[in-house]
Amino acid sequence: MSATTFGWLALLFPLAGCLTTALLFRRLPGRSAGVIATAAIFLAFLASIGALVAILGRSGSQRELVSSLWNYAVTAGVNVRMSILIDPLSIFMMLVVSGVSTLIHLYSIPYMDSDRGFARYFSYLNFFVFSMLLLVAAGNFILLIVGWAFVGAASYFLISFWYRRRTATQAGIKAFVINVFGDVGLVLGTFFIFRHTGTMELLGSFHVAPHVFAKGSADVTAGCILLLIGAFAKSAQIPLHTWLPDAMEGPTPVSALIHAATMVTAGVYLIARMHTLFELAPAAQDVGAIVGALTLFVAGTIGLVQTDIKRVIAYSTMSQIGYMIMGVSVGAYAAGLFHLMTHAFFKALLFMAAGSIIGAMAGEQSLEKMGGFRRALPFTYGCFLIGGLALSGVPPFSGFFSKDEILLVTAERGDWHWALYVIGYIGALLTALYTFRMIFRAFHGKPVAEARELESGHLHHADVPRNPATGEQEDTDVGFPGPAHAIAERSGAMRVAMGLLALGAIGAGLLQIPRTDFVIDDFLAPSFAGSKLYTIHEHTSTLAAGLVIGTLLSLSGIALAYYIWVRRPTLPAIARERAGALYTLLHRKWYFDEAIEALIVRPAAIAGSFARQSFERVVIEGAIVGGAQTLAGASSALVRALQSGLLRAYATMLALGAAAVTLYFLLRA
Amino acid sequence: MSAALLGALSGPHIEFAGLSPLIALLGGAVVVLLAGVLPPFEAPRARLLPAALALGTIAIALGLTIWQWHAQRSLAGSALRIDGLAVVADVVLLVGAIGAVLLAARSHAGRSRSGAELYALLLSSLAGMFVLIGAQSTVILFLGFELLSIPLYVLCAIERERERSLEAGLKYLIIGSIGGATLLYGLALIYGISGQTSFAGIAQAIAARELATNAMLLGGVALVMVGFAFKASVAPFHQWTPDVYEGAPTPITAFMAVATKVAALGALLRLFDVALIGAQPTWGPGLAALAAVTIIVGNVGALGQASMKRLLAWSAVGQAGYMLAGVVVSTRLGVRATLLYLAAYLFMNLAAFAVVIARERESDLGDSLRGLRGLAASRPLLAWPMTLAMLGLAGIPATVGFVGKFYLIDAAAANGYTWLGVVIVIGSMISLGYYLPVVAAMWMRSERSDEGADEAPSLRVPRPGGASAADGPLPTIAGAQETAEPQPAGAATHPEVALVALLAGAATLFFGIVPGPLFDLVSGAGRGLGLL
Repeated sequence: MSATTFGWLALLFPLAGCLTTALLFRRLPGRSAGVIATAAIFLAFLASIGALVAILGRSGSQRELVSSLWNYAVTAGVNVRMSILIDPLSIFMMLVVSGVSTLIHLYSIPYMDSDRGFARYFSYLNFFVFSMLLLVAAGNFILLIVGWAFVGAASYFLISFWYRRRTATQAGIKAFVINVFGDVGLVLGTFFIFRHTGTMELLGSFHVAPHVFAKGSADVTAGCILLLIGAFAKSAQIPLHTWLPDAMEGPTPVSALIHAATMVTAGVYLIARMHTLFELAPAAQDVGAIVGALTLFVAGTIGLVQTDIKRVIAYSTMSQIGYMIMGVSVGAYAAGLFHLMTHAFFKALLFMAAGSIIGAMAGEQSLEKMGGFRRALPFTYGCFLIGGLALSGVPPFSGFFSKDEILLVTAERGDWHWALYVIGYIGALLTALYTFRMIFRAFHGKPVAEARELESGHLHHADVPRNPATGEQEDTDVGFPGPAHAIAERSGAMRVAMGLLALGAIGAGLLQIPRTDFVIDDFLAPSFAGSKLYTIHEHTSTLAAGLVIGTLLSLSGIALAYYIWVRRPTLPAIARERAGALYTLLHRKWYFDEAIEALIVRPAAIAGSFARQSFERVVIEGAIVGGAQTLAGASSALVRALQSGLLRAYATMLALGAAAVTLYFLLRA
Repeated sequence: MSAALLGALSGPHIEFAGLSPLIALLGGAVVVLLAGVLPPFEAPRARLLPAALALGTIAIALGLTIWQWHAQRSLAGSALRIDGLAVVADVVLLVGAIGAVLLAARSHAGRSRSGAELYALLLSSLAGMFVLIGAQSTVILFLGFELLSIPLYVLCAIERERERSLEAGLKYLIIGSIGGATLLYGLALIYGISGQTSFAGIAQAIAARELATNAMLLGGVALVMVGFAFKASVAPFHQWTPDVYEGAPTPITAFMAVATKVAALGALLRLFDVALIGAQPTWGPGLAALAAVTIIVGNVGALGQASMKRLLAWSAVGQAGYMLAGVVVSTRLGVRATLLYLAAYLFMNLAAFAVVIARERESDLGDSLRGLRGLAASRPLLAWPMTLAMLGLAGIPATVGFVGKFYLIDAAAANGYTWLGVVIVIGSMISLGYYLPVVAAMWMRSERSDEGADEAPSLRVPRPGGASAADGPLPTIAGAQETAEPQPAGAATHPEVALVALLAGAATLFFGIVPGPLFDLVSGAGRGLGLL
């Protein structure tokens, strides 16, 4: 079979899985919905491997394949086919997405076992993976937008999966609104580009772009900045990041899925995919790089003071995506995508391990209440440690190689990029600090009651389920953990998923070691054949300095964390008092939520209520008056309806409107 | 016999082939009316006879229209024209009318003694729409406009025993008459300056005498535009829409929502793109401004509506704004995009209204949003069409609404109205704020929802009669109809309503994934218009 056939199959399986679980959920016994869904994603992964094998049999320049099933909109002006683009970049993304998603599905089977919405959950999950695969395999802008919008919708379903939980539905809506904002950016950016290139096909656009756009021209810059808005919203970059920490309201495997392998990486993929356009718009590239650097720093500092374990990991995700966005914006495409892959492994692993602790804590997520789980959860501890070391960038774990390569390429760009380089390394120190803060607080120190209970072989159960964010009591129907939950690394499926990811987190860095092997670089090269920035000759001195600084910073971050949270546990409280303003700033997440509330949400709400009042007041008045008349049963009701002010108000509006239209035309005469 | 007679009388040459759909509709209206005065049968089935006859008439008209698919000529002394625009719009109209008749077939009004009147009026209104779309003379245009409107006024008020229905009819009559008068005044001004009633003649006069900036002509254009804005519920002439939509019997609302829009936009396309094409630089920006205002007003007004019919009414206002974008640009692409969106709009609205009707008949919550709660669990076969309709209207990809909106934006952007495309995108963004709560109510709320349980009785009592509460199963107490026992769709819902919902929902999805047939349908629509 050809590579494109495999590509279609990779899309088909998750879609079929989604439909099967959605339509047959009443008839599916027991856990079969989970098994079907997992198998569907695994088949998609196999198909991606098939595509990889098929494409490796072709020579370098022959590795970009387009296949279309049917004409979507082939008519005057538009020419869009239902087509996918299979090239090294899309295969790379499909492998990462489907591979990590398979493990997350596997992990979910025991994790969601006691949930009443078991089949619904897997149906959503399959839909999510389908959307993400559609996004990365899309052969034209339209399918890209379709996948993009689907991912946003699927994230809404999954984040507000526990719909009885008020905070979850709010978080889902927030994510959706910000994502729709990003969609608008993507759609408008597409039209900006389409107006000049005249084609919706990705390859066609890239082929035409250098001829129709002058480098740095206003149009291509505007188009790329609009695309960036889409990328920022999906990838949770400042200032469109506020949905991501709230999105932790979903079940923990969902957090792993959205924040590790799939959704948030879409922005990175978009910039990499559109690199031809971005290289014509250096200003847009600079915007991307600076926002990425800002995000990685701001998110890292917030991660230092958050107490909810999932939110710390969420801010860490934001920060790591910042590295990737910065990387692909400065031209470190392979490095950015390499980091995307390693991050998918160790971040999914961290979320799963966190899910294991949360299970042991019966739903409690606060680091304040955790401690000493080292002996009670040895497997989880090991996984968390591996993930933490990889995230902190300790050699030889995977994160070390990928992060340093991004910073190395950034440094090679010279000029003001050095500032980004420095911020990147400050971020690396912060990463090690907040990561090991989590590890030391959750696993070291004196075991808490839940940990001791688990050591004696019994899993803690909460009597009443409570919302971990607000502490409100919850519905037992919907919302984990019901009294029946029985997990915390005890399940074989969870161990397999975590173990495989741990292997990836340890070993994936070996794919690309500076001066030694270049698997990722070489594989992706055909997708970036036209790029002027792809091959950068690094200087030995920068390379060596980077490796040394990276190692030193990560190790000293861990040592510092050890000193603060293990040796001197009183230190954080003292620091909090001494630097109260800074602490509040970080604790309130740099006041982004408040700023957005004050600048956008509140004015919009005021405008909305004003508009509604002015549009609707007449109507409501009319309805009330009309209702009273009905009750009175007066025979003259109709006459009164005429006099009720309603029609008078209408007539006034109509006359004014007609006058305005006529006036406009007469002025044009 | 009559043909032979006409031939012998050597009157004006009349092309019966081109007029045949119109003749079929009017003839059918007479037959349906006659069937109504037959001695009333007591059997419920006999009451369905007028509906069956109406369906047959529409089917014949549909067949005749398709027979004339490639026709492109003037009829009846250049009064009417049959061309790509007319046949495509006619087909959309007829499909909408089939849906409306099916929805009305077992409604309160449709089964009562006045049932035959309902279908006869519907058919004559349909004939008016045919005339309006085909008209190429201002006189015929106005004739069609009134032939369309007057039966609709009566249809709105056809549930005579229900005051809201009467009120809707009266309100529509008054507002509609103002619209008609404005239109007539505008047409008179255009005639006054150009001295022509035929579209071609007006176009020639504008070109030859350079009338494009003449105050009298532009005054006429303005009033004509206002007149059509009433019919198509374009802001700021939309205020009647929510009231009339809510008050009218729901099947009639469905018909109005779909058919009136097709007719008004079809006529607008022909009038502005043929007769007034010379003044396009002047009216283009004005119409674009109206479109933008309509998009914003409609979508903001729909936010927070609790009644599905009002929500759909406001949504119809917003959707009219989208469609105007295709008229504004006056290109072949614009005409196609408008017609394609009309077809898409037909499917989405039929699906939505069918579900609303089904809920009205089986629950005592009428058309309120609360009535849709937990529908996914109790009636998945109704929840799916409604979900698809809402997503489609919001323009979510993989629905026909996305295709249509995409085509409209493309048409706008291709002709220098990129900003209007931006407004369409922003409007769709706002619209998610009221379409998604409908979806959420069906999938994420249970029927016996906790919040607002107290207010349920107050909602139940004073409702002045949902369209057909009387003929459905006896109103049950809220909550008595439990979710626990899912009934198969069609047990309480009339099967034809569920069928309309399912087919329209399926079409919304199918044409979203495979829009090729729709593009083929509208491909010939721009033929023969004097476009830019």
